[in-house]
Amino acid sequence: MSRRRKRLKRRERPVRASLAAVSLRLALFFFGLAAGLLGPWIWWLDREAGLRFAERQWSQASRVYARALELHPGRPLHVEDLEQELIASGLRRGDPRRVGAYSVAGSRFDIHPPGFAHPDGVEPARRVLVVLSDGRLASLSDAAGQALGLVRLPPAELGSLLPLDDRDRTLVALADFPPLLVTGVQAVEDRQFKHHHGLDPRGMLRAAWSNLRYRRVVQGGSTITQQLVKNLFLTPDRSLVRKFNEGVMALSLERRFGKAEILEAYLNEVYLGQDGRHAIHGFGRASEYYFGLPVQALAPDQVALLVGMVRGASWYNPVRNPERALARRNRVLDMFLETGLIDQASHRSAVESALGIERGHGQRVRRHWAFLDLVQRQLRRDYRERDLRGAGLRIFTTLDPVAQLHAERALAEQLPRVESEPGSLQGAIVLIDPAGGEVRAVVGDRLAGRAGFNRALDARRPVGSVIKPFVYLLALADSERFSLVTPLADEPISIPQPGGEPWQPRNIDGRSHGQVPLMTALANSYNQASVRLGLEVGAQALLDLLAQLGVRPDSEPHPAIFLGAMELTPLQVAQLYQPLAAEGYSTPLRAISAVQDDSGREIGRYPPRLRPIRQRQALALLDYALQVAVEEGTGRRLAGLLSQPIAVSGKTGTTNERRDAWFVGYTRDWLGVVWTGRDDNRPASIGGASTAVPVWADLFSRLPVQNTGRTWPEGVGWYWIDWPHPTLATGDCPAARAVPFIEGSQPATLSDCIQ
Amino acid sequence: MRMTRIFKALAVSLFVLMLVGCAAQPPAPVETRSEPQPGVEELVRAPAADEARGLQVFPLRNPAVAELSEAARQAESEGDLDRAAVLLERALRIQARDPELLQQLAEVHLARGAYEQADSYASRSFDQGPRVGEICQRNWRTMALARERMNQPEAARLARERLEQCQVTPPPRL
Repeated sequence: MSRRRKRLKRRERPVRASLAAVSLRLALFFFGLAAGLLGPWIWWLDREAGLRFAERQWSQASRVYARALELHPGRPLHVEDLEQELIASGLRRGDPRRVGAYSVAGSRFDIHPPGFAHPDGVEPARRVLVVLSDGRLASLSDAAGQALGLVRLPPAELGSLLPLDDRDRTLVALADFPPLLVTGVQAVEDRQFKHHHGLDPRGMLRAAWSNLRYRRVVQGGSTITQQLVKNLFLTPDRSLVRKFNEGVMALSLERRFGKAEILEAYLNEVYLGQDGRHAIHGFGRASEYYFGLPVQALAPDQVALLVGMVRGASWYNPVRNPERALARRNRVLDMFLETGLIDQASHRSAVESALGIERGHGQRVRRHWAFLDLVQRQLRRDYRERDLRGAGLRIFTTLDPVAQLHAERALAEQLPRVESEPGSLQGAIVLIDPAGGEVRAVVGDRLAGRAGFNRALDARRPVGSVIKPFVYLLALADSERFSLVTPLADEPISIPQPGGEPWQPRNIDGRSHGQVPLMTALANSYNQASVRLGLEVGAQALLDLLAQLGVRPDSEPHPAIFLGAMELTPLQVAQLYQPLAAEGYSTPLRAISAVQDDSGREIGRYPPRLRPIRQRQALALLDYALQVAVEEGTGRRLAGLLSQPIAVSGKTGTTNERRDAWFVGYTRDWLGVVWTGRDDNRPASIGGASTAVPVWADLFSRLPVQNTGRTWPEGVGWYWIDWPHPTLATGDCPAARAVPFIEGSQPATLSDCIQ
Repeated sequence: MRMTRIFKALAVSLFVLMLVGCAAQPPAPVETRSEPQPGVEELVRAPAADEARGLQVFPLRNPAVAELSEAARQAESEGDLDRAAVLLERALRIQARDPELLQQLAEVHLARGAYEQADSYASRSFDQGPRVGEICQRNWRTMALARERMNQPEAARLARERLEQCQVTPPPRL
């Protein structure tokens, strides 16, 4: 090594060169260096830009939607509920000639919903006139007055499952953007876009001149292609090197790809604001976020606002800086006018219109957390987490946004009235459509917006008397031995326990009631009679029945389970009661109806799966007994609390030392489960009738309920009974009461009252 | 073809209307277990709480439901059974207990090989329907076929037996 260095020195020493020669050599050296380094650098940039653009994969948030409201004549619907529904669907009060707006006059609605691709077909945007009367939809017609049979609103967006990079985006194809947006962006950001090759020298010079004049950066000379390159590949710092890279890559993209492809990428990539920690990218999502509308439905002033935000999404943020945003929007509208994109008239009306930003988007997402929690759990059963996020799925759920609101209010407003110590009680509500098993609302906390412990799904609490109907169902199914009038002994009972004191259940009033008809024992929730009946049917049989209905409690077959010494969640209780309200056809409860991939292809469908319960006749009798329980038994407080007379079947439940209060009640079209209690499980001096029933009544007073009668199954007949004796009577007997029986199980003996 | 259909429909509705009339009459004597006294059985029978048992008539079909049902029929004739099922499920969300809809869906399920659901929906349609006449026959025929396909010969036989009774005029109640 050292010898070689010496040799080099020896060879250099004799060289004597002139200054000119040195300069020439230096120049050559630097040129070589530049060519040697810059060449590969440019080559690399060019290749990278081409590869990365070609291989780019947009991640797209998966969206979760509520069920779509079906409008048809005869549908029960209140004025306030329809308006709530419209707001939830992203519509706003305004001139209904505009898509996404509606107007109300009394009970007449003029609605212009945007089009929506539902899982089973596209509902086009069209104006509809809706007239409500007496809590029903009285007429439905189009703008020309032509009667319509059925119109579906776009579903409310409940939330999104965002990709892991937290970029919120709704992809839109170039052809689907409104033309004004496509040309408007070019008019404002890059008028030479159609003609240049990635760089616009004149624009750069103009920008450089004004920047020099004002001694600061006042104008950017970047083309749309440069901006795209910067957003996609580069860091946002302002340096000469970055500017150089940007220019090379822009030229490269233009050389390799068409203008349309570049413009489409730009419109979907451009940064347009922040939704909490999620960055909003592209006009598709921005339109949904700021206006609650698909981008196709935007009016000129809305297009101008979004186009104006490209220059600085936070500086011109219409929510935080409305005045600045308005000025910028109007400046953009002027440019639209100058370039002939809009005419004088639409310019005038656009400049005069308000910003019209839909607020509270983020709050809406939080409000449905308890329901979305259920949706996520059902999704995770079928999909992997990374397939859900960023895949652009559309998840259609069964939530009724207005019923959800009613449920939240019922809990929030009733708990303070029934609790002894302010703020001590918690509660949960599950509301379902029993016929199809669709979950309509879930409330997991008395403060609906507080996301945390989801009591509707996760609070496992003793159910108390809520379980009794299933003991009675088993008995009634054995029609040779039991009917609704079979006398039961409500007498003290002592059950020996291995290695302990015998178990001696007591009634809640501390008294025994002697011989009572089976129906009365259930309606008044007598514990001693129920335990005696339970011993006849067997604890294991009860657990088997619950399993058949889709619920497997973690309980031993001890007689205490006849009184509900088993812990269930409100959702499980709803599952158990569903077939009771659906005439004996059980179906698993569902929060999701369909899942589509980003191309609109259905990848999952969740239809109701009906399974007839074997004991359908017995179940009909039980249904009747539960109606009696509400009319005459433990639920009799209900009638006075309801704002409308409705036929309700239901059962209260109160657990030891008044720790938990339940009420499960149903009509033909709704089934609601209410649980209240303390989180720390301490005695709360509450009861099913005094605490849970008022919450339930509040909710059902707000819901649109249809009073339809029940169809009795084949083989069930009605007989006059000399109540409360198990003997047949006639309608003329003073104590005559009509009671349903499984044919053949009616009493054989006639009452003395028959002449 | 169309005329016979209309005639059939008329005949069925007339028949059902007659039955509604009958239901208001005191029920017929049936075998009793205690000492038979003539006329007692009809006296102790009470009318059902809400409406005539098993004789619910749906004369006025919701136009929205009719629209969806027709679209489902269309989809079915085009061989798109999945779409037909989706449309009927949507209609059932509007009118959950319409026996005609339930039976239509049962038949679609039968055609697409979803035998368990075909059996269930036909059974639900029967429970909700008039339990006599044309729809009753379709109910039990669907259940019989579905059970045969599910290899449940005994259950299928019971369905065939029950099918026979659909044609029988219900017991005279006078």
